[in-house]
Amino acid sequence: MGSSEEDKGLVAKTLAGERDAFGILVERYAAQARRVARAVLGDPDDADDAAQDGFLSALVKLAQYDTRRPFGPWLMRIVANAATDRRRRRNVRQAEPLDPALVGGGPRPDTAAIRSELGARLRTALGELSERRRTAVVLFDVEGYSHAEIAGILGIPEGTVRSEVFHARRRLRTLLADWKEQAP
Amino acid sequence: MKDSQAFDHRPDPELGAALRAALEPKDDQKAFVVRIMAQYERALDRATIPTLDVLASWFRPGIAAAAAALIAGFLLGRTVLTPAPASIDAAMAPLEGPGLAALVTAQDPPDASVVFTSLVDQR
Repeated sequence: MGSSEEDKGLVAKTLAGERDAFGILVERYAAQARRVARAVLGDPDDADDAAQDGFLSALVKLAQYDTRRPFGPWLMRIVANAATDRRRRRNVRQAEPLDPALVGGGPRPDTAAIRSELGARLRTALGELSERRRTAVVLFDVEGYSHAEIAGILGIPEGTVRSEVFHARRRLRTLLADWKEQAP
Repeated sequence: MKDSQAFDHRPDPELGAALRAALEPKDDQKAFVVRIMAQYERALDRATIPTLDVLASWFRPGIAAAAAALIAGFLLGRTVLTPAPASIDAAMAPLEGPGLAALVTAQDPPDASVVFTSLVDQR
């Protein structure tokens, strides 16, 4: 990901009408936006729709962006809001029940399948957390945002962010530790 | 796992990597970028066309201003068209002679007979 100063330069160029500058911003933040939206929504297709809504909404609101602040948290706030709005509108289904074979540690034919199985478990575990909790832990442990930045993105106090990350980690780390014990 | 680990203020690389792998889109990122950029012009066009919400937000103050102008016009018209009430001087002016004004402005209290005579004379 580019530096904050580069982001601001790209924002200025976009505001001046340079289409390609916005394209570079999208390339930089696409993966992050899709992951964050997926953390909120669960379903990858819904997440991509929400991430797209977020980018286009950010484009329209770009003149409102305060260039004294980093671009990433501002964009992620818009993406997270777009995902939350989409979830409310469509009443997105909850995570599907866990396959008993996965819970019981079924056969693991190869490494790819093992990784896939761990991913499914983590997604299910994320789905059991509240939306705010799973978004907070993904923004912190996956995307590397600070507690203060996450507080700004989610619009909640910093202390609440710490609490949400703590509870999410406790659940997810337990699952990860169990997984490592079972792994061959 | 100890709770103190969960309170760590630093990102957890192991958990972060596992979550990243779980949430990572499987398809090509470029296709997603192309998909967004295909909407670029349309999004900007939509932003420049006033939506119904914007029109509605203009409509409400317009209605309020019109109502205020109507009320102001009514009050102004009523003030202009209604005749002014008679002044106290006009009310107290005698038809003939000193009458009531003389009684009210006198230094000494009037004699009752004079008051009654004055009233009877005015009838």
